Amino acid sequence: MVLDKLSDSLKNALKKLTSGKVDKEAVAELCSEIKKSLISADVSIELARNIAKNIEKRALKEKVAGGLTAREHTVNIVYEELTNLLGKEFKEIPTETKPTKLMLVGLFGSGKTTTAGKLAKLYKKRGKKIALVQTDTWRPAAYAQLKQLADVLKIDFYGDPKERNPVKIYNAVKKDLEDYELVIIDTAGRDALNDELTKEIESIDKAVQAQTKLLVLSGDIGQAAQKTAESFHKAVGVTGVIVTKLDGTAKGGGALSAAAATKAKVNFIGVGEKLDALEEFKPKNFVSRILGMGDLETLLEKASEAIDQETAEKTAKNIMKGDISFTDLYNQMEALKKMGPLGQVANMIPGMGKMNIPKSQLKEQEENMKVWKYLMDSMTVHEKDNPSLMNESRIQRIVKGSGRAETEMRDLIKQYKQMKKMMKAFSGKSKKFARMQKLMGKKGMPKMPGMF
Amino acid sequence: MLGRLKSVFSKVRKNVEKETKKPVAKKEKKPSFVSKLNVVKNLEKSKLKKILEELEEELLTNNVAYSVTEELKETIKNSKPKELKKTLEEKLKEILSAEAIDIYKGDKPIKIMFVGVNGVGKTTTLAKLASQLQKKKKKVVMAAGDTFRAAAIEQIQAHAEKLKINLIKHSYGSDSAAVAFDAIEHAKAKKLDYVLIDTAGRSHANEDLMRELEKVKRVSKPDFTILVVDSLTGNDAVDQAKLFGEKIGIEGVILTKADADERGGAIISVAHETGKPILFLGTGQEYKDLKEFNADDIIKQIL
Repeated sequence: MVLDKLSDSLKNALKKLTSGKVDKEAVAELCSEIKKSLISADVSIELARNIAKNIEKRALKEKVAGGLTAREHTVNIVYEELTNLLGKEFKEIPTETKPTKLMLVGLFGSGKTTTAGKLAKLYKKRGKKIALVQTDTWRPAAYAQLKQLADVLKIDFYGDPKERNPVKIYNAVKKDLEDYELVIIDTAGRDALNDELTKEIESIDKAVQAQTKLLVLSGDIGQAAQKTAESFHKAVGVTGVIVTKLDGTAKGGGALSAAAATKAKVNFIGVGEKLDALEEFKPKNFVSRILGMGDLETLLEKASEAIDQETAEKTAKNIMKGDISFTDLYNQMEALKKMGPLGQVANMIPGMGKMNIPKSQLKEQEENMKVWKYLMDSMTVHEKDNPSLMNESRIQRIVKGSGRAETEMRDLIKQYKQMKKMMKAFSGKSKKFARMQKLMGKKGMPKMPGMF
Repeated sequence: MLGRLKSVFSKVRKNVEKETKKPVAKKEKKPSFVSKLNVVKNLEKSKLKKILEELEEELLTNNVAYSVTEELKETIKNSKPKELKKTLEEKLKEILSAEAIDIYKGDKPIKIMFVGVNGVGKTTTLAKLASQLQKKKKKVVMAAGDTFRAAAIEQIQAHAEKLKINLIKHSYGSDSAAVAFDAIEHAKAKKLDYVLIDTAGRSHANEDLMRELEKVKRVSKPDFTILVVDSLTGNDAVDQAKLFGEKIGIEGVILTKADADERGGAIISVAHETGKPILFLGTGQEYKDLKEFNADDIIKQIL
């Protein structure tokens, strides 16, 4: 994930701040570590230096608020400085005007066309009447690419594969576009923002007069990002940034400093090749995640998408009582699966991110969950609701019915018992938990609900 | 193109030179000259630190990956001040001149598979190489192995039509290994010289997708697997090179969009990480814009 390494090295550096007082040396070391990791995450040198300097100054100068440890004090400052960099509050793209015109600009291969499709899917889900327009007459099959995406999404598509002039393409369909609520316009890229491309997008910009102009940047772009962003900004006035390809090892820092340079906010991030792999970028949540503070808001959002209200409430109630059944385990696993890879989910849970669970272990756990699902599918409803019924003959039947090994069934029962024990412990909240909640609350994070 | 790196390296040389001319530490009885010191790291500590910090920052600004920057710093520290240029030259040569491979030699048909993350320019590069092979009077077939991305097949087809080169394609969602296999069979039957296999852009961190790619390789047994990297890539260039190297295995690298790259750092980073030769640089949007990579030329431009 984005800024993964930054996250790791931050967590390590923060661990060193263990003493009660804010130790000058430890802070200096932390800041040099922060600078280093920002730079190796492709953040521009200047920006990285400034952030590190600010954190150092503030950590030493500002008074430690009552009840906070030196580490919490410093984490807070790091949190604030990083959210400052990323643009604090998330802002929706305004879509009230009809038609709202949204234009995508960027270099070759940054992912403009795929992103156009992803945006269309997202806003279609929100009930907008959408048109996709292709003005890229440069790259072979750009027309076909967006058309295919539009067809899949059942969204109206405009373009002209025979016309070479993008402005003419737009003007020819301009009247038709007035019927839509949101018009997404794709444009051509080049290797670099040369005179030719500048002229081209300037003329498209003049014809389209888009309210929203989003610069699409590849998440793996290096130190060239800032200059690229500045020149696009000069040409069309960028209102926001979309960072793509953040599902890999891309560091994202280049794109983030580009956003900072243009004072445009990062609106979305692309996190996969499928059309629904586009996330709204919420700086606060993001920073919490990389600092190992978790991201409950996103987690809850994902959870509420993945699980229906009634099941959630029932499960939550059982968990609170410390009394869960196989059915609850099953529902939880199903919901978890829908929320995305375990690694991503784990990073959003406060405290879990800090534990640095190895990826291989999470992968293994995912495999286990698959097996447990098969086993539970072979149980009767009665058995699932009443795990205490499990006896030798039932176990044998389930093992046979599911075609799994007996050891796997024993593992499942063990897992169930462990989970039950853990849930019991959770329902009596620990002190540490409460303090973390306080810290989060102060930062505008949602209050911790009973469920987790 | 690489003017900026050149100024970085000449600056560090100048800085070292300047310091070596000054008399050192007061404590020594006779003023000795640092030029007598055998290596750069024996310079006065604060001076050395300043020189190296400056160098580090400039290398990073020029998109040289962090790990490579660290190594270059070590090299400079252990070099004799007067021989700095020579040492740097040797180091860069070591990084850039991996054992060469010859994509023009081999049993017909020579199979070349292109891999890389999304949007680096695999298809365009494949078309450029096809065009150059054509100019060498070689008979080529292309395999439309990206069956995932919308219009990827149309894209390679547009090139095939323009260049009048045969293209083997299946439908979207089909097995790209099968496409590659058919293209190879076609080349064998028609006694063609080259099979160029395109693949879908893949996030190198996604294991399932990499397994698909690995299957294409297993089925097609390419003579050369070439990693395509965007020159504008930052520190991730190293990870891309590493993961594709480990999971798929590569014989060479092509860096694209070098015309847009003022920094040149990715060239050094990727060469360093893979230990594989850089074969070509993509330098523009035309078919002719694929330049053979020459390490000596590059070093001359840098030092």
